[in-house]
Amino acid sequence: MHDGIHVEKAGLPSATICTDRFIPTAKGMAKMWGAEDYPTIFTEHPIENLDRNQLRKRAEGLATEVVTILTGS
Amino acid sequence: MTQNTTTATWQNIFEAVEALYELGWTDGLPVLPPTADKVAEFLAAGGRDGAEIVGELPERRREITAEKVAANAVMAGCKPEYMPVVLAATEAMLAPPFNLVGPSSSMGGAAVLVIVNGPIVQELGINARNNLFGPGNRANSTIGRAVRLILMNACAAIPGLYDRSVIGHPGKFSYCIAEAETETHWTPLHVERGFSADQSAVTVFASEAPRQVRSVGHPEAILYALADVASSLGTSLSTSGSVGDPAAGIRQGETVVTIAGNSNLWRDWTKADVKQYLYDRIQRSVADFKRAQVFPGDMEPGDDERMVPLTAGPEDVLLVFAGGEESNMSSVIPSWGPKVGSTSVTKEVRR
Repeated sequence: MHDGIHVEKAGLPSATICTDRFIPTAKGMAKMWGAEDYPTIFTEHPIENLDRNQLRKRAEGLATEVVTILTGS
Repeated sequence: MTQNTTTATWQNIFEAVEALYELGWTDGLPVLPPTADKVAEFLAAGGRDGAEIVGELPERRREITAEKVAANAVMAGCKPEYMPVVLAATEAMLAPPFNLVGPSSSMGGAAVLVIVNGPIVQELGINARNNLFGPGNRANSTIGRAVRLILMNACAAIPGLYDRSVIGHPGKFSYCIAEAETETHWTPLHVERGFSADQSAVTVFASEAPRQVRSVGHPEAILYALADVASSLGTSLSTSGSVGDPAAGIRQGETVVTIAGNSNLWRDWTKADVKQYLYDRIQRSVADFKRAQVFPGDMEPGDDERMVPLTAGPEDVLLVFAGGEESNMSSVIPSWGPKVGSTSVTKEVRR
């Protein structure tokens, strides 16, 4: 969250993906940096036990949302 | 008092204690009210101006002033004369190599172990012996507790919010020890790290809980058992991870080892000897890492013989002579993560 918000503040579009167990932490961090509206993509927790293919599949499922946030359309 | 300070008035101590719970300033146990006069007394004892910045936690937009350190030391039950130690510990954990945002937020559940060396250990009566990690000594209990309260109240390491420890550990209430350096021929930890014996210093170490090792009586038997425990699967050091030395395949890190009892048992061993012995044996086979799915891939011939060290060198074994005189029992404390994630830091206690 910290890095995504700062990259965005520096003028580079960013999309941050966070697992849904960390929603309060992510929202708190956004508020801390005055970026309450920073768009964050939440995905089902956990991801650490996914193998390469499962992780790829998860990422593909989020790709459209990432593109929308990065391009603003 | 500095700007942005809230003041409140309470009718009695019980009302104050309850109000501090309501403010969310406790670790779950009652804290003492940080009254303006007490905070001023602690600042004077620490020789600091309240507005002085002791350190910063930029990721959480926090500047930690001496006044915040003093207020938390009062709440923890410290004596004013403990302030130089609490200040040094705060400076150390806010030093960039410690990377406080990592161990204070991670699921890995680190506590900040505070190790005190030098003349101040005797002056303040900081315990280095019986019940090393246990209760019963005001200096150890309250200095360690002050560090935790500073983490929670000044550094926003709030459990469940920014501190996402999965299981945490009891050392997160208080985790402060001293080295019994006056009772051993071994070089004190702070001297190994560049300070002189007549200086006092605090070492902070982001770490898991201590694991007691009961092997006693014979140096090599003790060290063999210590190395075995320190080589356990499931610690942060023996985990594959996204950070650390990619060539090692595992995270590697630092390990604190405490050894208690009568130092005479070690008369033929220097600290450097012990650290080298342990470094050479704190390792695990590629086969074991594959069985535990730390490493991917099928078993190959020779995997049982190929060993991976869990530390990068003997200097990453921090050896501390401490614990009761009753026995040579020892303990192993693995670091929270690899050194690139957090490295132990030693700072002088300034007086």
